[in-house]
Amino acid sequence: MDETVKKYTTRREFFKQYKKKSRLQETWNRFLRNKLAVIGLFIIVFIMLAAVAAPLIANYDTDAIRINVPDRLQSPSAKHIFGTDEVGRDIMARIVHGARISLVVGCAAIAVALFIGGALGAIAGYSGGKIDDVIMRCMDVFLCLPDVLLALAIVAAFGTNLVNLTVAIGLAFTPKFSRVVRSAVMTVRGVEYVEAARTIGATNTQIITNHVLINCFGPIMVQVTLYVASAILTIAALSFIGLGIQAPIPEWGNMLASGRVYMRDHAYIVMAPGLAIFLTILSLNLLGDGLRDALDPRLK
Amino acid sequence: MEIKKINEQENTLEIKNLVIHYISDEEVVKAVNGVNIIIKAGKTLGLVGETGAGKTTTALSILNLVPEPQGKILSGEVLLEGRSVLSMSEHELEVMRGDKVAMIFQDPMTSLNPVHTVGHQIAESIEIHRKVSKHQALKQAKEMLELVGIPSERSNEYPYQFSGGMKQRVDIAIALACSPDLLIADEPTTALDVTIQAQVLKLINELRQKYHMSMLMITHDLGIVAEVCDEVSIAYAGRIIEHGTLEDIFDHMRHPYTKGLFGALPDIGVRRSELMPIKGLMPDPTNLPSGCPFHPRCDYVMEVCSQSLPENKWLSETHCVECHLYKDTNESML
Repeated sequence: MDETVKKYTTRREFFKQYKKKSRLQETWNRFLRNKLAVIGLFIIVFIMLAAVAAPLIANYDTDAIRINVPDRLQSPSAKHIFGTDEVGRDIMARIVHGARISLVVGCAAIAVALFIGGALGAIAGYSGGKIDDVIMRCMDVFLCLPDVLLALAIVAAFGTNLVNLTVAIGLAFTPKFSRVVRSAVMTVRGVEYVEAARTIGATNTQIITNHVLINCFGPIMVQVTLYVASAILTIAALSFIGLGIQAPIPEWGNMLASGRVYMRDHAYIVMAPGLAIFLTILSLNLLGDGLRDALDPRLK
Repeated sequence: MEIKKINEQENTLEIKNLVIHYISDEEVVKAVNGVNIIIKAGKTLGLVGETGAGKTTTALSILNLVPEPQGKILSGEVLLEGRSVLSMSEHELEVMRGDKVAMIFQDPMTSLNPVHTVGHQIAESIEIHRKVSKHQALKQAKEMLELVGIPSERSNEYPYQFSGGMKQRVDIAIALACSPDLLIADEPTTALDVTIQAQVLKLINELRQKYHMSMLMITHDLGIVAEVCDEVSIAYAGRIIEHGTLEDIFDHMRHPYTKGLFGALPDIGVRRSELMPIKGLMPDPTNLPSGCPFHPRCDYVMEVCSQSLPENKWLSETHCVECHLYKDTNESML
């Protein structure tokens, strides 16, 4: 003990190392202990960087959109890392530009779901009783339908464009979020500090935003990560059957769809978008699992 | 409300014949069955009783925060400085809570929000009730922290960085932030150890006198009552069975239940003496005995006890008791 203390010039400094760790730091340290989660974080950050830097990697118009038939179906080479597709477009260029669409639409859709579902769930969970019953039974009805089917119905009804697709997927995921937020809110609602906030005269809105939702942040964040993965998969699925992002706009799902004809002779053509989808979903799931473990104080 | 009696203006809080039941599908829990409480301005009333005697429910009714939808206030009045709390609108209640009446909770570990700094939590109350900027509110919050004996530099630390006693100090700072007229302390020291208990009680008492607040001290510790209260009400099964000044209750207790409570206290002077527990248990609040709720446990039980509820008898100006043993003010059968 004495020697350990000597290592730090003063006793105070010795204790500082234990004291100064903030909550965030503790969580981060716990997260770092989970190797798989760190790998997940690494991959998703890499994919995000690729998406952000897409214009630097390849020109959108000339490489990812313009048809260049003489170069069609080339195997991977130094010039075309993932080869070229059936009309001679560089697959690498299409993958990185496709990442932009997948990530943006996926995140935007989940933002829509979180906003609507979160608000409904918070109201239901906080008020309880009849309001809770009415909101949650409506959500249950939507929860019965698979999300691809629900999104498909909405897109089919309103037409396929980027905004409709985002809203459709967002609405499809709304019931899931309302359930998550509701249960999180219900556990926090009965806690004494919420009661305490009432005794100092806080309004319901103040209590929900200031005390309830902020304490549900952890579980909600975990679900966001996991559902972004599902949303990206849903976009790919819809695009694959031709109801999502339309060709020639590069998207992983429609790249798979158009490439599947050539799969037998030119496997690389579907390998790259398949791998992109696979890695994105995997990394987000690993990240979500890691976050859940790190944010759960019981596993300290 | 138009005709206000003079003595009513002196009373910070007046609860008249309050009846609160918790009604669920299976059963009715009769938590409060006709409670009468008066707290005079600047005075402290101790509300003493066993767990389940209806103390906390009574306290929550003052803020009109009886848990809904099960908790139903069936009858009675709660007058805060002459104004009826039960008929206030939601907005009026929000203005009143924290500004006129504040509450200190039993368990400081759970009554602070873990994700906000303590300074922020104290400032919240100030921001709600005073028209001040966030910066100003935080400054006042720091002053409040100093007041309860915590260095103001710690205002941007989180509750988990504080010990239990310090958290209770923060709780007190929150309650006092808007200098309320009435402070409700719901077993404020139950979760603390004895030395910290003494410190916290001393702090509450000092601040209460400094700001001339009235206080409702809910506790089951008669030692705390002796230390901080001016008057005492003994609650049993949702009724006030005896009320009086400290002297009335501690030296001239009348109700058999009150006697039982004191009989169950160890006496440091007579170490050999055996403690005298009150026989039996608190009655089930879903199925209260007929007549006087205490009669199945009472040593002096009479025929009339199981038949009718005893009336409130005033034994002196300050001392009243609900027991059939006392027919007239002068006559005592004990």
